[in-house]
Amino acid sequence: MSTPETRKQDVEHPGQDDSQRDEQEGHARSARPQDRTTILMARQLEKTVGSGSSAITILKALDLEIHAGESVAIVGSSGSGKSTLLALLAGLDTLTHGELALFGEPLSSLDEDGRARLRAGQVGFVFQNFQLLPTLTALENVLLPLELSESSVDARQAQQWLARVGLEARVQHLPKQLSGGEQQRVAIARAFVTRPALVFADEPTGNLDRATGDRIADLLFTLNRESGTTLVLVTHDPQLAARCDRTLILDEGRLHAHGDSTAASHHEPDGVDHR
Amino acid sequence: MTARSTPDARPSTRHPSSGVAHTLQLGWAGLRRDLRAADVRALFLALVLAVAATTMIGFFLDRIGSALERQSGQLLGGDLVLVQGNPFDTQVLDTLEDAGMTTARQVNTVSMAGFDDRFQLASLKGVAPAYPLYGSFQVDFGDGAETTTQLPERHTIWVEPRLGTALGLTLGDSITLGDEPFRVSGWILEEPDHDVGLASFNPRIMINLPDLERSGLIAPGARLTWRLLAAGPPEAVRSLDDQLETWQDRGIRVIDVRKDSPRIGRALERSQQYLSLSGLAAVLLAGVAVAMATRRYVERHLDTAALMRCFGASQRQLSRIFAAQLAMLALTAAAAGAVLGLIGQWALLSLLVQFLPLELPPPGPLPLLLGMLTAVAILIGFAGPTLLRLKQVSALKVLRRELAPLPASGWVVIICASLMFGALLWLYSGDLVLSAGLLIGGLVTLVVLWGVAQVMLSLLLRGAALLPRHWRQGSRQLARRRQSSIGQILAFAVTFALMALIALVRTDLIDDWQSKLPDDAPNQFAINIQPSQRDGFISALDEITDSRSEVYPIVRGRLVEINGVTARDAVPEKARHDGNLRREINLTWAATMPDNNTLTEGAWFSDEDAREKQAATREAPVGVSVAKSMAEDLSLGIGDRLTFDIGGREITAEITSLRNVDWESFQPNFFVIFPPGPLERFSHSFITAFHLPLDEQQALGPLVQQYPSVSLLDIDAILQQVRDLLRQVSRAVELVLLFVLLAGVAVLYAALTASRPARSHEWALLRVFGAGDRRLVRTQLAEFGWLGFCSGLLGAMLAEGVSALLYGVWLDLDVRVHPSVWLLMPLGGALLIGGIGYLLSTPLRRQAPMESLRLLGEG
Repeated sequence: MSTPETRKQDVEHPGQDDSQRDEQEGHARSARPQDRTTILMARQLEKTVGSGSSAITILKALDLEIHAGESVAIVGSSGSGKSTLLALLAGLDTLTHGELALFGEPLSSLDEDGRARLRAGQVGFVFQNFQLLPTLTALENVLLPLELSESSVDARQAQQWLARVGLEARVQHLPKQLSGGEQQRVAIARAFVTRPALVFADEPTGNLDRATGDRIADLLFTLNRESGTTLVLVTHDPQLAARCDRTLILDEGRLHAHGDSTAASHHEPDGVDHR
Repeated sequence: MTARSTPDARPSTRHPSSGVAHTLQLGWAGLRRDLRAADVRALFLALVLAVAATTMIGFFLDRIGSALERQSGQLLGGDLVLVQGNPFDTQVLDTLEDAGMTTARQVNTVSMAGFDDRFQLASLKGVAPAYPLYGSFQVDFGDGAETTTQLPERHTIWVEPRLGTALGLTLGDSITLGDEPFRVSGWILEEPDHDVGLASFNPRIMINLPDLERSGLIAPGARLTWRLLAAGPPEAVRSLDDQLETWQDRGIRVIDVRKDSPRIGRALERSQQYLSLSGLAAVLLAGVAVAMATRRYVERHLDTAALMRCFGASQRQLSRIFAAQLAMLALTAAAAGAVLGLIGQWALLSLLVQFLPLELPPPGPLPLLLGMLTAVAILIGFAGPTLLRLKQVSALKVLRRELAPLPASGWVVIICASLMFGALLWLYSGDLVLSAGLLIGGLVTLVVLWGVAQVMLSLLLRGAALLPRHWRQGSRQLARRRQSSIGQILAFAVTFALMALIALVRTDLIDDWQSKLPDDAPNQFAINIQPSQRDGFISALDEITDSRSEVYPIVRGRLVEINGVTARDAVPEKARHDGNLRREINLTWAATMPDNNTLTEGAWFSDEDAREKQAATREAPVGVSVAKSMAEDLSLGIGDRLTFDIGGREITAEITSLRNVDWESFQPNFFVIFPPGPLERFSHSFITAFHLPLDEQQALGPLVQQYPSVSLLDIDAILQQVRDLLRQVSRAVELVLLFVLLAGVAVLYAALTASRPARSHEWALLRVFGAGDRRLVRTQLAEFGWLGFCSGLLGAMLAEGVSALLYGVWLDLDVRVHPSVWLLMPLGGALLIGGIGYLLSTPLRRQAPMESLRLLGEG
């Protein structure tokens, strides 16, 4: 079984040669189905915004369990609360009711700083609008989370990750000098550079054309697989969701497993049938 | 929780390191990368300028302060000059030397100098080794002027050229002083303590003290003045304070460089006030620039902060990282500013070096510390409230852009900045009440300006409706962003006003100096004109010069009683040693008030009134006009009765008016003016001042020979020295003005940089909707132009108001209206802001609309 610790050793050297990588890939892939350690668990999760008569409940009595090494897609139409759910799961926002545990730590018992500490170095993010800092080069953007958690940082680590996403020639470029696809590659390198146990991706291809989006999705899933990272992906794109181990559909504040007849018949996101 | 979610599920945590070294490392990395951003460069530039201005002016004032005291010391002959009618006893000499002072003895007397059968009254100065304590002589030994600190050799003397003219001397001739002949070995052109006392009305003879003693002129009954000059460090002078009072009580006259600065002192004092004012203006401008640059800095870093929160940084860690980053920025800027300040003060001093003949003390650490403190204070005061937003950022902002913390209210920023600026004012001026007053005044002014700006913007909208399309659109753009436009107008108005104010004060100050010393300012005084000689002398004088002052009578009298009480007992304690009580003062009479005097209280007497009053009863006091400065020193007011002792006879007069006297005018000036009549029965002579160019002064020879008892005092050298000094001080003032202007430009740069992203977005949208480049440029130029116009107009109001206050209260200049300001500031503002705005937006125009839109998306 691959614990998060062993997974981290697997990807200790992102610049290693292909034969080593293939070996680890196989190891990660074979390890994943056996790992039933719970990374994320939600019970009766509820999120309400506003108060009194104007209160709106976005998420209702939602249950969820995500295991180490899994890739889970959360799909839903625009405004269904996908991003709200992702924010709650990542500890970026607070829930109204219910229980939520990240890495076994109940989030409701932690303040914002406590939740930030829990994320430090363990959680990576890929955003729809990339969220690269415009005055930092590609390399510096990737270095940022590393620098935050380690006092002595080896820039080669970030360089190797950039090489891995195919941007070895663009390390000193500023975001505005990169295309959208390239910017998202930098963001992916940044998400994986700390060797996190969990990566959240919020519409990672939402701002890209189909061809570029496909290439970015390939990269994301490859790295995820190679690193044995748990991936929680929020999207409205059924094709992208289909590449995950599991797909959950968010509708009217409730979560249904894909294929669940109570939901699937009339809750296909964006009206697109998949798998 | 389920059994599966055991603590084992949690990966080995990697807490963000919160060590100091790590924080500093992160701060430094962040700062280095941030220098790519225009707002950080603006922030840096503003801080550098603030520190440079304060350290430059601080270093300069610090070093020049003590140097100027010495300069004054040079004009007086020492830091302390003790004067009495008898030789000084050794106890006085020992006390001075024990305190660490160097001393030089000097004896002054007036004696007849004879050559062949001609005689001329001359003023002898007997000097002993160690003289001169400060400065040097300019002597012509036959080969042109030479600078020397040597004294005349034994049996020889140096004489002033006009004595040569009067007696028909050439170098090498011998003249008789007392019982002895002395050979004239040099023409004395300049001497260090060229005082303007009565003794120097006669031509100078410089002689060795032992020679003077040998000449038999130092004899009982001779009119001699013994002077003891002393020079030493300020702390030695301070340590003698109590002793000086004791000596004054014993009848020794004490001239103290700290109190009795020579007449050029006022001009320098004002220039120092000007420099302090400029320093503060630069600090305030830099503060405004910092406040504006910080807004953009924070906007940009909200995303960084949110991302870092996502990556696991705690609020505390974020605060520390940003604090470290800004502290490093402040320190780097302070170091760069201090170097610039050092270079600047060196440039300032090099302008004045010829007036500071002595070695200057090295720059002390205090101005440097003040500069550093200023940088940190500006950052905390002007940027603090805005920076607090960074701490409040939620990690959720990465997903929901609208979740940025609310910006600090403009008024909170202003109040916090004002408090910090007030604290700096207090630190610089040491005057809490003044600082608080200025602060409250400043805030009230801002509120008023805010109201005026609101009205102005509304009027602009209406007025622009009549103008061509792009002007109309430009004004609408401004009005659409009303609050931010008003903020910018206020900031620019304050900037323009400060720049204008510093420029105005400079011009008015220099004009004022020049008007005080016009080219035909009197350079000769004729005194001791006897009543019988008056008409003859004046008509002879009028033949050689067109430029002559009024002729005033002089009666020497001592103020002995005030309202029937002995004068010394009637005045406040601190005025008891006032020179006007100790010695005879010059009294005069005049039917009309002298031109350069202004009445401040009471009414000027007409001569008929006075004569009638005098005729009615000889006992009734006559009216008298007193100089305001003397009235203030002695606590005198209208209605007080003054009794003067004139040659043993007394006359009592009642104060009927007070006058402001321009003591720097180089015209005959008087503390006390009587109406014509009452003083005429006392023995008197006349005085006048006139201008005669240097190359026409040989015409004075016959005049001096025709009226040998009339003494001529040549003040050309002093006048020239004052002119040179003022010219150099003016240059120093201009150099400082340059700094203030640079700080002003930093504000404009910071403000326009801050608003660039929003404009870029708007620009891109308009282009997407099909607006052509030409139209966009015109509209934007119009918007910037209006912004500059409104700011200039508001700035003109502010500059005019504040200048009136400054001139009247602080700089003692006449309040005046400056029409040019009202014309130039709105137009200049429109051109300047329009120009800078156009240049800054050039890269945006070259950008594809998509790029602008995307950049904004990334903040």
